[in-house]
Amino acid sequence: MARMLLRTAIGGALSEMASVIIVGSGVAGTVLARQLLANGDHQVTMFEAGPDFAPGNRRIWLDHLVGNDRIYEPFVDDPRTENENFGLRGSRLFMKGGTTNHWGGLTPRFKPEDFELKSRTGYGADWPIDYDEMAPWYARAEILLGVTGDSDNDDPPRYGARFPFPATEFTLGDMVVIDSLESLEISYGHMSIARSGDRCITTGTCDYCPVNARYSALFDLDQLQIEHGDRLTLRTESPVTRILMDGKRRTHSVEFLDLKTGAPGSMEAEAVIVCGGTFESCKLLLSSASRDWVDGIGNDSGHVGRHLIGHPVFFASGVRPGNPDRIANELGFDSLISRHFDSPEYQHKGKMWFSGGAGMTSSLEEQILSDVSRSEMNANVTSGLVVSLGGEMEQFESPENRVTLGRGKTRHGLPTTEIHVGVHEINLEARQEHVQTFVEILKTAGCKEDGIETGALNPDGAHASATCRMSNSDSDGVVDPNLQVHGTDNLYVCSNAVFPSIAAANPTLTLAALAVRLGDYLNGV
Amino acid sequence: MGTTLRVDRRTLLKLGISTGVLASVPLAGCAITGSTSDFLLEFISDSDSPVNSGRTGVLDRESFETLASLCDYVARFWQLPTDLDAYFDQLESDLQLKSREKPAYLTEYENAVRLVNRMQRELESDDQSWSALLFAEFPADELAPTRIGRARRLVFSEIIAHQIPLSAAFRSFGLVNYRGYFGGPYASPDSYRRGAV
Repeated sequence: MARMLLRTAIGGALSEMASVIIVGSGVAGTVLARQLLANGDHQVTMFEAGPDFAPGNRRIWLDHLVGNDRIYEPFVDDPRTENENFGLRGSRLFMKGGTTNHWGGLTPRFKPEDFELKSRTGYGADWPIDYDEMAPWYARAEILLGVTGDSDNDDPPRYGARFPFPATEFTLGDMVVIDSLESLEISYGHMSIARSGDRCITTGTCDYCPVNARYSALFDLDQLQIEHGDRLTLRTESPVTRILMDGKRRTHSVEFLDLKTGAPGSMEAEAVIVCGGTFESCKLLLSSASRDWVDGIGNDSGHVGRHLIGHPVFFASGVRPGNPDRIANELGFDSLISRHFDSPEYQHKGKMWFSGGAGMTSSLEEQILSDVSRSEMNANVTSGLVVSLGGEMEQFESPENRVTLGRGKTRHGLPTTEIHVGVHEINLEARQEHVQTFVEILKTAGCKEDGIETGALNPDGAHASATCRMSNSDSDGVVDPNLQVHGTDNLYVCSNAVFPSIAAANPTLTLAALAVRLGDYLNGV
Repeated sequence: MGTTLRVDRRTLLKLGISTGVLASVPLAGCAITGSTSDFLLEFISDSDSPVNSGRTGVLDRESFETLASLCDYVARFWQLPTDLDAYFDQLESDLQLKSREKPAYLTEYENAVRLVNRMQRELESDDQSWSALLFAEFPADELAPTRIGRARRLVFSEIIAHQIPLSAAFRSFGLVNYRGYFGGPYASPDSYRRGAV
């Protein structure tokens, strides 16, 4: 069938049966592929740098359960990709399904004020779209990811949209924290989380779900290959190394490596959509410099790779004497969230959300293997309770915080990653305040102050964002509000990289919503 | 060539060993001869992966029962549920799965069975041999790559970590759910929570 010219110079739907290349098989690429295949008639080829993997496999689950927590070790980042203020620490996975293989499934929406950071605080950038425009796509993304949540909680507003599954009840451990929050008049609610409520059997082994209840792009892709295998080709172990342009505006193909044979290859397409995450997406644009794009595609104004942001995390825990109700960790995911400090009032210094719970000090098998007696184990269960809190906060961007191409090659044949990030004093101050709030909550929960331990980690690759940020003008960013690279006709980025700001909330639902939205746009809906 | 290792009550007491285990040790202690000690401390591999992980096969019934007797020992000494027939079906299925699929544990399991058999010949009772296999301290600078070190890490520890959730042993401590237990759909009548709160 003859291919028609894909798009007009100012955007529009793909032509019928258009061939589309998606770079990256994580949540963005997979949700987008589902839109193009289920709601359109396009031919999709997806390139993934990492290898295949099996979802819901009993053997892998056993290895994960009984002590081999290293099932994902073969797929983590190149160890050279580290920075003192922005460590990757194995947060990204190079494999089919990407980082959704080990994500926590937390899916809060951003709040209306998160799209207006610059206007409200003077920091960072505003989004060129607002919450109300995103709301319908949020609702569709919640259905696609199988999110459980409280449909009656209108912070942020839901405009009547229902979660596909009801919220998880609070656990007994949650109630310990909730009692404390109520005493301190700190608001809380049910965590929204991508774990299909009709499949989850509460094994607590959510990093590798034995029944594919927690959303993973790995399982979703398997389903897509069953449903649309005639129009979906997935090439694993095939990193895309370069995007080739026909002049300045149109891309016509990509170059890739076949890691199984070591042979380079190329493939033509009518549209290329880069879904490689915050680091690899900007690196691919930078690697694709040409006579027409001297500093990399979309980089005439120098924003590609800049503005790198992520989520500083912090935590605190203490031991409350006595545990007569024998409370232990019930679930493998958070069921409680407080967004009390994730509000406009706290936006100017770094808003945050947190979760918490309570459980035993050590596992039963650890105690048996340490030959703790049964009577001692009984005493350990009832003598005390570890109460823990963990949170994430918004980080403000700086153009000096950036990703550049390293001189070496990773094991995937891609350029190594150089990260340049400084310290945000204002975020450090806010983080200290938030940690002190945690201490107050734990003291109110009955923990002894001298036994409370606190800690913090700098941002990592899990929620990294903004290296190809979205903007109305090419002078302020890399992609337009439809995620099309400024100055091109058929090249898109769909990744956390397009976020102009990170908010406090986890980014995956917002990314999935953008992928659904882009799918509608390309399908001409 | 090795020296005789003596595992006595005093040694175990110093290690903080439980009274349950101490009760299984005869007053005179249990002596492990030099040749057995050498056998236990033989270097096998310093790899984190199972040795001969490409060698797949079926774990024979006798070997399975030898390994499964660890669960009986743990259940008795820690007063966990001792009716393990249904659980043993699951354990056997899972050990067979790990024997026939790569990275295969078959060689590790067979090595562990040889170890258990050797200790049971050496000591007076099966309980003594299990307590020594799990907890006895050996005079080796680096235990991890030895026969006993690998068996503890890759076989015995993994079986106990399997037993606690999948035999629902955690319930005997009054806990309602546990990592690895298939607790049922959260909101359904079959949930682990029904009747528990």
